[in-house]
Amino acid sequence: MTKKRRIPRLLQLVLVVLGIYLGFVLTFDVILGQVIPKSLLTMYMFFVIAGVLMVFTFTEESAQELIGPIKALVEDPSKKMVRNVVFVIVPLLAGVYTYASLMPSFEAPVELRTIHPAPPSSVKAFGKRFDLATLENPYRKFEKEDPDKFHKLVKQGGEIYIQNCQYCHGDRLDGKGPYAAGLNPTPLNFQDVGTIAQLQESFVFWRIATGGPGLPAEAAPWISSMPIWQDFLSEDEIWKVILFLYEYTGRQPRSWEHE
Amino acid sequence: MRQINLLKLLVIAASLLIVSPTFAKPGDVDRGKGIYDKRCTWCHGDEGDGTGAAEERLNPPPRDFTSGNYKIKTTAFDEMIPNDEDVFRMIRDGMPGTAMPGWSSLLSEQDMWDLVAYVKVFAEFEEAPEQQVDYGTPVASSPESIAQGKELFEDGDRCVECHGKTGKGSAIKRLKGDVSERTWPRNLTKPWTFRGSNDPKDIFTRISTGIAGTEMPSFADPKSKKMLSIKERWHVANYVASLAKTQKVVNAENTVIKADMLEGDLLPDSPDDERWEQTIPTTFLLVPQIIGEERFFKPSNDTITVRALYNDKAIAMLMEWDDRTKSIPGDERAEKIADKPIQEDGVAVQLPVEIPKKMQKPYFGMGDASRPVNIWHWKSGTKDTAETVAMINSRGFQDIEARDAAEVGLQAKGSYKDGTWRVVMVRPLTTADPENDLQFVEGRFIPVAFAAWDGSNNSEKGSRHTMTTWYWLLLKPSTGAMPIIMALVIAGLFAGALLWWARSAAGGRKPQADSKEGTA
Ligand code: HEC
Ligand code: HEC
Ligand code: HEC
Repeated sequence: MTKKRRIPRLLQLVLVVLGIYLGFVLTFDVILGQVIPKSLLTMYMFFVIAGVLMVFTFTEESAQELIGPIKALVEDPSKKMVRNVVFVIVPLLAGVYTYASLMPSFEAPVELRTIHPAPPSSVKAFGKRFDLATLENPYRKFEKEDPDKFHKLVKQGGEIYIQNCQYCHGDRLDGKGPYAAGLNPTPLNFQDVGTIAQLQESFVFWRIATGGPGLPAEAAPWISSMPIWQDFLSEDEIWKVILFLYEYTGRQPRSWEHE
Repeated sequence: MRQINLLKLLVIAASLLIVSPTFAKPGDVDRGKGIYDKRCTWCHGDEGDGTGAAEERLNPPPRDFTSGNYKIKTTAFDEMIPNDEDVFRMIRDGMPGTAMPGWSSLLSEQDMWDLVAYVKVFAEFEEAPEQQVDYGTPVASSPESIAQGKELFEDGDRCVECHGKTGKGSAIKRLKGDVSERTWPRNLTKPWTFRGSNDPKDIFTRISTGIAGTEMPSFADPKSKKMLSIKERWHVANYVASLAKTQKVVNAENTVIKADMLEGDLLPDSPDDERWEQTIPTTFLLVPQIIGEERFFKPSNDTITVRALYNDKAIAMLMEWDDRTKSIPGDERAEKIADKPIQEDGVAVQLPVEIPKKMQKPYFGMGDASRPVNIWHWKSGTKDTAETVAMINSRGFQDIEARDAAEVGLQAKGSYKDGTWRVVMVRPLTTADPENDLQFVEGRFIPVAFAAWDGSNNSEKGSRHTMTTWYWLLLKPSTGAMPIIMALVIAGLFAGALLWWARSAAGGRKPQADSKEGTA
């Protein structure tokens, strides 16, 4: 066996744990773009350390190998210098950790919510019921039948959008309107492939007509600043604005037929 | 002769390099029109005259390109035509503090050069501009330069006339833009609202060119009594850049107002109390109320800074916000600056009647049927009446109940100075009516939201105001000596255990060492 040049087991363990930690932080912060809450990270890391320890101490031999250096440190007279240093640092670290964990944390509570909740089968708006499974955009058909008329409808939708929606969703439709930074949750980015391209027009109609307060509880309706548009716009106007959303971003609504 | 010509050429080439570090690429007018008709007409209008659909709801309004006014340019003050790079920069980066976004995330570089070419057609700008801003030898920022800049800024009210003594734009005059829109002098302590940046070079340029289409004049114009030399303009620019150093900036991560405990002491009931200086300010963006009821699109207030202190009896909150005008209905000077009819200034704090146990809060817009909110509403008063504080319980816009603020023990006191309102509100931690009043508890995260009214701007009143959504208020529990004692105990235990281990190891070392030798 090539025992000589191997990294000591203890160092291996530390490296593995550190690697996983960095992996978590990287995936969440950089790739997924959302900072992982501290409490969650602590919990994950607890399981990771427990798991790694189990693997590393699976056999008697590997356990010995792991503990060896620690034992040597305490027992080997030639390591007196290192020992003294460790004996000062370890209690100090324990003290600092205790202090830090006893000082109350002032991090805001984490609130998890669904952004695209499952739609109800029918919704109430404009004083009537709409069956979302059969509801269609009455103007969509002109896309093929009468492109000129369709173009005009899109233009009208754009005007409604710029008068009512750009403050939040932005004139680039990227969710970065002039006031977006002051709102939490932030307004939806329609350019993103994960938003309107994934939705049927009937769903979008429901979301616009009833706004934030029309969301089910799992989507935290009490914090969404999306206005209730049935209070300001007509049914027609909402359908037109929907045409504009798809046209401007070059996306197609999801339709029942394709499924 | 030939040599001289060559020299001339070299000089011209070199000066071109200095003036325009990014060379303009020729844009294609026709392609530009195609992109314009899809992206820009909504605001700037089909004819480029600024009469797009959003005109009525934007201040500043979308630019009328036929006017030929460009706010951010590097050509001399008496030169109407901007450099292509100037126009390109505004299209690429946008104009902060306005609805004009930057387009680099959606359009290619060539697209944007094409737009430059097309947009210039509206004002029939065909020739290249001739006169450029002369930067001379830049003066680096230093305490001396800043001090000189401050003097020039204030001298003869040069800049103070419009921007106010503190640079916050506390207006002495009512200003208008070219399309007779209300313009507010820039708040120079808020660099994120600058159309150009607040880099000294940018500020130098603005002071030199003035801002076309607004009353901001050029200070390079020899005809102006307030003209500044190049050197002086650099000093002023350095001073203006230094105004941005403030604690009161928005930090998106910071959503919690932390109230410190004041043991035993009386709480500050005045905004001028020195103890506020030791508290941590938390600043939030204010957005116009464009969500329900009568909507409001043209705000002037844009941030609010909050601090809080508490003791065993009460909590005090200090709200500070920059407001260029002290709006006092009935006061002649205030009325002159204000949009008519003038209203009182105001600020409101919104809190849930009950601290949510789980995630669910009342609706951020004045609560909802099952979760009411408390609203504390301070108003600045008129010429004949004093400031007031009202208390409201509401379950949504429609369901509002007036309460008696005095009965609850709610007090408020405001003061206005140099473009900033500071208002303190104090309320006992608990009240006799827990069904209807929030009972403050230490250590719990309490949702809190704010609203502000500028009575001189578009008659802000009622639902016409600026606001925040929910943030958090935390009464920081006083931990006392507990953490430090526990830390010492734990550290001691660790040290003891280690020593004990070493001792016992040393005690049995001999036989162990033998066995080790044996195995080695
Ligand atoms: C005051 C800001 C604001 C305005 C104005 C506004 N929205 Fe929204 N909008 C939001 C927010 C916030 C969300 C919710 C994001 C979330 O729930 O995470 C949202 C969500 C949406 C959604 C939901 C999509 C989905 O996937 O669930 C649609 C569609 C939408 N807005 C369309 C519009 C249209 C059309 C207008 C104009 C008529 C408009 N919005 C105006 C803030 C605004
Ligand atoms: C949502 C409305 C909106 C849209 C869309 C918009 N703009 Fe603007 N734009 C504005 C406003 C508002 C201003 C004026 C800001 C000011 O005066 O401070 C402006 C100003 C400008 C200026 C003047 C720059 C200067 O130095 O004064 C240019 C150039 C410009 N826009 C180009 C464009 C182009 C090109 C597009 C399309 C790609 C576009 N804008 C789309 C709102 C808009
Ligand atoms: C007559 C009034 C007036 C005077 C005097 C004046 N300004 Fe201004 N200033 C304005 C107005 C109005 C604006 C905002 C223009 C707009 O709406 O874009 C402004 C904007 C600015 C800006 C913002 C530029 C940007 O990129 O957004 C700076 C910096 C500035 N002024 C500095 C100064 C300095 C320094 C002085 C004195 C040397 C001065 N101003 C004198 C009215 C004035």
